[in-house]
Amino acid sequence: MTAVAAAPRRTSHSPALSLSFAHLLKSEAIKILSLRSTWWSLGVTAALSIGISLLIAAASNDSAGAFPAVNVVLAPTQFTMLVAGILGAIVVTGEYSTGMIRSTLTAEPRRGAVLLAKALVVAVVMAITTVVTYLVAIVLTAPLLTVGLDWSRPAESLVPLVLGVVSMAAFTLIGLGFGFLLRSGAAAIAATVGVLFVLPIVFSMFSFAGPSWQWVVDAAAYLPVNAAAQLTTPAGDALVQGGITLAAWAIGPLLLGFVALRSRDA
Amino acid sequence: MPDARALPTVEGMIVAEELTKRYGDKTAVDGVSFTVAPGRVTGFLGPNGAGKSTTMRMIVGLDRPSSGTVTVSGRDYRQLRSPLTEVGVLLDAKAVHTGRSARNHLRAMAATHGIGRTRVDEVIELTGIGSVAGKRAGAFSLGMGQRLGIAAALLGDPHTLILDEPVNGLDPEGVRWVRQFVRHLAAEGRTVLLSSHLMSEMSQTADHVIVLGRGKVLADAPLPELVSTWTTTTLLVRSPRLDDLVSALRIPDATISAIEPGTVQIVGVTAQTVGDAAAAHGIPLYELTPRVGSLEDAYLALTDDSVEYKTKEIA
Repeated sequence: MTAVAAAPRRTSHSPALSLSFAHLLKSEAIKILSLRSTWWSLGVTAALSIGISLLIAAASNDSAGAFPAVNVVLAPTQFTMLVAGILGAIVVTGEYSTGMIRSTLTAEPRRGAVLLAKALVVAVVMAITTVVTYLVAIVLTAPLLTVGLDWSRPAESLVPLVLGVVSMAAFTLIGLGFGFLLRSGAAAIAATVGVLFVLPIVFSMFSFAGPSWQWVVDAAAYLPVNAAAQLTTPAGDALVQGGITLAAWAIGPLLLGFVALRSRDA
Repeated sequence: MPDARALPTVEGMIVAEELTKRYGDKTAVDGVSFTVAPGRVTGFLGPNGAGKSTTMRMIVGLDRPSSGTVTVSGRDYRQLRSPLTEVGVLLDAKAVHTGRSARNHLRAMAATHGIGRTRVDEVIELTGIGSVAGKRAGAFSLGMGQRLGIAAALLGDPHTLILDEPVNGLDPEGVRWVRQFVRHLAAEGRTVLLSSHLMSEMSQTADHVIVLGRGKVLADAPLPELVSTWTTTTLLVRSPRLDDLVSALRIPDATISAIEPGTVQIVGVTAQTVGDAAAAHGIPLYELTPRVGSLEDAYLALTDDSVEYKTKEIA
């Protein structure tokens, strides 16, 4: 008999090692930040956003201040929301296509915790990116604007900007929810782009259909992009409606995704 | 087969009771009961589609059983407070994001349990992937992917190891390393359940074997017992006076087959009987070799009817 075989049961590992939600958040942060696709998405979001802001700022010189300064920063959201949604989707679908999800779920078998940790991390990453992007855009566009941001009127500066950050996080969560629900990258991206980009166009087409179809046009207010527009309107008066609508869009797919994650085999 | 319910809960022990998994009409795992005990290497054998991988996925909570239960250390895997330190799993090499480096993959897995960087470096060293740890896992060869998967399984220094085809794609050095390593782990009192299609490898690695076929347990026995039950021992006998020897043995011709002039193969007698008979009649023996069946022979005899994807016999 070797010494190894005669040895008693090992007691080497420290009892301090165990799962916790904080550990899980750290793991998800390492995961998302160690992928090139994340940095591409964030880079594209920032570049698009800042670039379009600069263009609008340059163009708004001609309209002599009719365009609110905060909109110069927020307008690119119409494009960057797609990148945000796609990032949310691929954070999950990338795990399914590579099999990583099996490693994830064996390390943390409580699936609700996995979903929550992913949602928090991806939302925070997108929020930080958006804050940085806005700051850069504000600084770079300032010399181009005749009427700059007026920080003394928060309803026309700080509030729309903060809600713009929240909206970007919400768009990311919509993608994440579809990712958990559909698992396939193509399907989740299609669903996300459909909800964020295609549906508003479809709904707006009904404005040509006459008054009997007006309700469809009105219903478009409840699409995520329009809810975000309500939220980020300077001195907007539909903040509550926009906020509830956008929150529902962020949480709805996530809840469906949670049901799918819990009930289906990984 | 020991009755699982009669055994007390032992740390690291895997107990499956009437475990069943159906996919639509197809029953992948059909009322399977077994116990995987600590302190030995248990081999999990079976043809493709026999339900090995499905069973392993149910053990670690990835697939939910249609009925029945399976526990590790007496608990459902989903209830374990620190799964990685209790159970190390290698389900297949493809459970890693291809866009992430090996080291970052291990760091992320380790972080879930607060396992430090030192241990990450340790398992990288242990599995010999140090030189490629910074590379994207997608660029890994099958063998390197296996090593990374084994590294991940070892992160939490677990009581129980579940390895699905761990030597698949490994080079001979790697195969030997896995064999010695799992034997070492079992000797330390850990539970090791591993599946493999390589019978010769399994016969050198496993102490105990569970054979699945078409979702059912075909055999659950210590390896030597399985082999002796399912194979016949033949005797190779070489002698210049074979005819005299055969008539002295007084056994039916059917059990004797000539191999070459002066050499026969005899089934159903012991070497002792033949040796005694030869001595009693003064017949010289040039060779008397018992040939024990292999695990492969036993496995093929066992699973003959339950191979789902069968190759055609070459005529």
